[in-house]
Amino acid sequence: MSPELLNQSAVILIFSVNAILLMALIALKVIHRRRMKRHEGRRKEYLGLLSRHMSFENHTEPITEPIAEDPAFLDALIDMRNAITGDDITTLRRIVNHHGIIERQMRHLDSSWLLGRRLRAAVALAELGDETSADMLIRHLDDREPEIRIQCARGLGRIRWTPAIDQIVSRFGKEIPWVSTRFSDTLVGYGTRATWPLLAYIRINHRFETEGAVLALRTLAQIQDDEAVGPLLGILAETSDLEVQIATVYALGEVGSPQALNALDSLLDSGEWALRAKAAGALGGLGDAAAIPRLVNSMRDENWWVRRSAAAAVARLPGGTDALYRALDDDDQFAADAAAEALTDIGELVSARRRADEGSRIEPLLAHMRSEG
Amino acid sequence: MALEILEWIGYATIGYFVAMQVYMLFLAVVSAAALRRNHHLRRFGRVGEMLSSRTTPPVSIVIAAYNEAAGIVDAVRSMSIVRYPRFEIVVVNDGSRDDTLQVVVDAFGLEEVRIPYRPDLDCAPVKTIYRGRSGVDITVIDKENRGRADALNAGINAARHPYVFCTDADVVLDPDCLVHSMQRVVEDRARTVGVGGNVRPLNGSRVQLGHLIEASVPKRVVPRMQILEYIRNFLASRPGWSWMNAVPIVSGAFGIWKKSVIVEVGGLTEGHMGEDMDLTMRVHRHLLDKGVPYRIVYEPAAVLWTEVPDSLRVLRRQRIRWHRGLMRAVSDFRGMTFNPRYRQMGMVIWPGFVLFEYLAPIVEFIGWFVVPAAWFLGALNTTALIWLLLIALGMGLLNSLLALLLDESFGYFNSAADTSRLIAMAVIENFGLRQMTVLWRIRALLGGEDTKAWGNMERRGVGNLARQE
Repeated sequence: MSPELLNQSAVILIFSVNAILLMALIALKVIHRRRMKRHEGRRKEYLGLLSRHMSFENHTEPITEPIAEDPAFLDALIDMRNAITGDDITTLRRIVNHHGIIERQMRHLDSSWLLGRRLRAAVALAELGDETSADMLIRHLDDREPEIRIQCARGLGRIRWTPAIDQIVSRFGKEIPWVSTRFSDTLVGYGTRATWPLLAYIRINHRFETEGAVLALRTLAQIQDDEAVGPLLGILAETSDLEVQIATVYALGEVGSPQALNALDSLLDSGEWALRAKAAGALGGLGDAAAIPRLVNSMRDENWWVRRSAAAAVARLPGGTDALYRALDDDDQFAADAAAEALTDIGELVSARRRADEGSRIEPLLAHMRSEG
Repeated sequence: MALEILEWIGYATIGYFVAMQVYMLFLAVVSAAALRRNHHLRRFGRVGEMLSSRTTPPVSIVIAAYNEAAGIVDAVRSMSIVRYPRFEIVVVNDGSRDDTLQVVVDAFGLEEVRIPYRPDLDCAPVKTIYRGRSGVDITVIDKENRGRADALNAGINAARHPYVFCTDADVVLDPDCLVHSMQRVVEDRARTVGVGGNVRPLNGSRVQLGHLIEASVPKRVVPRMQILEYIRNFLASRPGWSWMNAVPIVSGAFGIWKKSVIVEVGGLTEGHMGEDMDLTMRVHRHLLDKGVPYRIVYEPAAVLWTEVPDSLRVLRRQRIRWHRGLMRAVSDFRGMTFNPRYRQMGMVIWPGFVLFEYLAPIVEFIGWFVVPAAWFLGALNTTALIWLLLIALGMGLLNSLLALLLDESFGYFNSAADTSRLIAMAVIENFGLRQMTVLWRIRALLGGEDTKAWGNMERRGVGNLARQE
């Protein structure tokens, strides 16, 4: 092949590809945009149609087969599901069942090879699914696509499918962090029903699957079930893993039961600064003013994070603000600094200035700051 | 003999050009695959789940401000309305000579506070700290002037959250930018140490009170050319780097970092003209040396809008500065080039960066002389010359069109006029503008006192850009 022919071919090839790209760009701009616009228009129409079906019991306007298969109709159903409550949900479910929406989406989720379609199906099942889709959702908790696993868990949570709790919890340690964190959100939605499965998982796995156990503890912290306090104290006494200890202390602080006071108090003497800091923070969450003297003592800790956490915890307790003002005169300069920072953080300085009463309570704080300057 | 040498140089130049285009095409294809998946995932609302989750990690937004009185309030406002459950804003006034400090203090009703400040990173002395508790959690650090990197180091010192989002004062944030980028952190919190976002030029767009109302392509050629460059850069390269876990630069305007890692590597380097690349590469080197599994990723859905140079004079200064930054990075990280110890970064991406970014202006400059000389001496006939020029033009166009196609999935530019302007720009830039940037980069390579100054950006303020277009 002569160099000229080679050049010629290269130019033709390159410009042909350019022409294809240009056409694709124009097509995307024109056709795709127009399609999206039409989709949006239909979705709005369908929302109107659904509203009429909801509002009038004997409404006879037909929902034909092509409408039921239209993705815009699916989007309208999802929008409607998120906007209604009470009896309207039953009416909507009747429409969904009558037109076989769930079955169709289950088929798509199971057999389509298009990621977009499978994701749409998973979202639809998460939003509109019922008991009939629970088995499939559980099966797809092991789907190859992480986002689908998340949507399946969300769907199970949405219908409060209790048998799925164990299935979701058992995947904590095996999942990638993004998915397990979303699983945790789903379990929080289950509320106190997830407490015992989570505790059982922690008891069994805290030695082998630290990451999963820590996430389970964080989930319990959000559920805030008083019944968890006893078992959590047991785990705290049993474990030697620092991460698990920290997460347990955090959970105890979030649950906020005074039952945990002594255990947390003793951790303020721990050799690990991170544990001391977390215990201080957790004591602030218990709401018991009895912890103030010990926390003020921790404001003299050698570690700045412990001092800061202790001061912030004091600020959360009843009578804590007064204790912090007193701590401004502490012989330990670090403790006084921590108190000043906590007082500033809770807005003492700003609010006092706004109230224009600098001369009263705020004076020691200002004096402390001036001395630092 | 001379003719033979000329011929060989010609072949080498063409070979280099082909290799560069293949490399860029490879990155563009990988980026396209990554973006396609990202597009599907973006459609199915993961955002809401992150927003309501209490496990979402908190972030400190750190802004370096120097003489930014014109735009700082709008910028902070756009930051204060981002949709994210827990964040604070730390503004560092880097010894501005205008009234940047006063403007922020007044606008957000801040009060002077004196709280402990822990200088984990070395930086100029902090004079005063201001804080406000009304609505937005905002802290302002007033310090002596020592440059952007130093200001960011001061802000990182003051940051109270484990992740810091380093940015500038001349930006408008997309309300979902934090949630999209932090989603990448939550995906793999143990390994993710950095996330870069998608930076887009703001010039020509409509901004009101720190909100982007409508994105648009300006009529002026200089910012329009940069829009195309940014799209090429951020959509046709970075997703590919990210896929290979070898992002060599997390943009200084949009970089989220794990604070502890920044502290470990000593923060940003003051006086470095490419401090964002320097930081990214130091993090790579540090963690690869330590053998710690990590990842630095790029998230195209996390968008930030920034003011870009409006005139050739300012653009020239910026490009010279960028290339000087690159030169220093090439020298500082030469030990990583083709070093298998640094895996895909050392073997593919960084060598590609050195070859096709650092050396590109030199090779292109040589091409300008060699091709006409070969034609003049008869080594290249006129037809062949035309074919070669057409190939060069076609390959350049290919890259731009591919990038524009990828950009369509984001749907920022709604009007056909905007897209037509960008397509026209993809052709026009080959006739003079690209050559000009090559000359500027050659100027940077030659050095000299005037290339070492940082230079002012001459900001108009994000709210004023559109009105003046």
